[in-house]
Amino acid sequence: MTDTTMNRRHFLKFGLAGLATTTISARYLTREAFSGPAPEEKSPHQWAMVIDQSKCTGCGYCVKACQAHNDVAPDKAWTRIMEAEPVGGKEVFLPMPCMQCQDAPCVDICPVKASYHRADGIVMMDYNKCIGCRYCEMACPYGARSFNWEEFTGPNPAVPAWGQPEVPRRPRGVVEKCSFCFQRIDRGLEYGLTPGVDQAATPACVVACPYGARIFGDLNDPNSPVSVALAENSSYRLREDLGTETRVFYLPMRDSETEDNEEIVPCSNNA
Amino acid sequence: MFKQRLSLVRQPFFWWVAGLLVVIAAGLAAAFIILTRGLVVTNLTDLVPWGFWIGIDLSSIALSAGAFLLSAAVYLLGIKKLQPVARTAVFMGLIGYSMAVLTLMLDIGRPDRFWHSLLYWNIHSPLWEVTMCVTLYLTVLALEVTPIVGQSGWFHGRWPKLGDRMASVHKIAPVLAIVGLCLSMLHQSSLGATYGVLKARPIWYRPGLAVLFIVSAMAAGPAMVVLASTIASKVTSRARVDKSLLDAVAQFIGWVLVAYLYLRFWDALSMSYTYEPARSEGLFYLTKGPLALNFWIGEIALGIVIPMLILLNRKWRQNTRLLVLALTFVVVGLVFYRWDTNMVGQLVVFNQMPQLLTPQYTQYRPSLIEIAAGAGIIAYGLLAFTIGVRSLGVVDHTLVEAHDEVPYVPATAVSTD
Repeated sequence: MTDTTMNRRHFLKFGLAGLATTTISARYLTREAFSGPAPEEKSPHQWAMVIDQSKCTGCGYCVKACQAHNDVAPDKAWTRIMEAEPVGGKEVFLPMPCMQCQDAPCVDICPVKASYHRADGIVMMDYNKCIGCRYCEMACPYGARSFNWEEFTGPNPAVPAWGQPEVPRRPRGVVEKCSFCFQRIDRGLEYGLTPGVDQAATPACVVACPYGARIFGDLNDPNSPVSVALAENSSYRLREDLGTETRVFYLPMRDSETEDNEEIVPCSNNA
Repeated sequence: MFKQRLSLVRQPFFWWVAGLLVVIAAGLAAAFIILTRGLVVTNLTDLVPWGFWIGIDLSSIALSAGAFLLSAAVYLLGIKKLQPVARTAVFMGLIGYSMAVLTLMLDIGRPDRFWHSLLYWNIHSPLWEVTMCVTLYLTVLALEVTPIVGQSGWFHGRWPKLGDRMASVHKIAPVLAIVGLCLSMLHQSSLGATYGVLKARPIWYRPGLAVLFIVSAMAAGPAMVVLASTIASKVTSRARVDKSLLDAVAQFIGWVLVAYLYLRFWDALSMSYTYEPARSEGLFYLTKGPLALNFWIGEIALGIVIPMLILLNRKWRQNTRLLVLALTFVVVGLVFYRWDTNMVGQLVVFNQMPQLLTPQYTQYRPSLIEIAAGAGIIAYGLLAFTIGVRSLGVVDHTLVEAHDEVPYVPATAVSTD
């Protein structure tokens, strides 16, 4: 209390220095000890999915298979089937898994890095990190995420008819979503299989589709089913204006399948 | 003994505290149900994941903004005479931020992991930044309140040595003011940016939100302080206010409202041109749709225009009734603004279907349990402020702070009441 001006300056200097030191060392510590999977070396694979709308009949097999293999509660769906506007009087469906954005809003804004990119492009959830703030649900333009409002207990109605669970159930209070069946991809690669070609290494929804509407594979491999499908057809992605660069591509309902339907063809412009 | 009790029951203070305790008890019961049964007891959905509690959270943080503004005015701008008002503001700030933290603890799905954002940093996330700032600022506020508690007659009379120790924390008040200013400037605005960076919700996706959030907080935070001080001084003799100090702050609020109105005007006008999917519908929802009453009456008329006119007119604002009315409007207007902002982006959700530009409309009404828990938290805030006024002298402008050299003399040593 003798020299208060000195005291204040002293406090200012050391207080701020102390704060800075604490912050930096805490950051250093966290990086060393806690920050989960370090940015991996580049993966040789870049997984992608192609969905052919002209083949999809909206049967929902993919949803059931997903619910069984990923042990998803019956009131949730990691892959949903929306009904789109009919083309030529024909029903058109829009199956929507997680779009696995390359520039993913959920990864950008998750306050705890529970949403992150794997080296092979899959947007993953770390269910041990998620605090359940649900910010990602508001950031996702595709509505791909669902929150566990309550714990999923009891038997899964999709098991065993549609498959066996391959991943643990998520606890109450976290946000969950489609992971491109990373567990099938990873285990398949271990056994020397090719995801997209060998069924055991391919996402459950792709395997379950009876019409072959879903195609999976490696964008880095020019001979993979997805690369071939994208090279041979025109495709589009959802909400490309957002710049999310999704890894799910759609082949639209093609004109050739509807053009015999005279009445829906718009007036030809002869002028 | 019985007569004594009877006289206690006759006091309005008794009923006030008893009422608050009942609401807090109900809130605790609701919180217990929420923590044991999970968020399934709320009316929140995957499309409207942030509801009533986020409204309380945003409002209580904004209404605590008086703490950093008045601390900065006293210790950085050197307006020493406002020091007693800053005391009140800092105490209310601590209450407000603790309310926000309590609400968030209920709101997140895994309260046991609340500390994750302090460990797993995602510096891209505005919400991460808000969490860090709120945590640090809560520490700053606790330090700022320490001398207030230590000096209070109630505390100092019982533990004089510890009280002196706690009072000496006051020496770092200028440092705390600087840190508090930085942290508040950061998170008050990035709470707006939390919404403003979400491209998936076009009505939110704009730079203006960050600015509007901090400017509206700069009006409503001090308004809350002046309002609470004025009401306390009317209700109890333990709160003593210097009207000239409150008048200065009230005039300041009036000018902030002018700036706020100006920004709101251009922000809204710029969104009204050219159809933009989901944004135009959102704006329509606010200005002509279901939220129109909230918007025009709550946010604009009550929240800005009427109090602005009252507070900028010396004669009007010196009339205590008009002053209280104007400040109440500012506070209510802020709550409306935060509520509407949070809701509008969730009630109008962009459609992902490539052919459909029209958005999807959702519904949300808080469940009884959400309301009970929220009311409990608000009652806790009111009770804490009541205790502060009664026992810690947080609204006492006659109290000369032991500022640096001046040794502290307890002004109100355990008075009888």
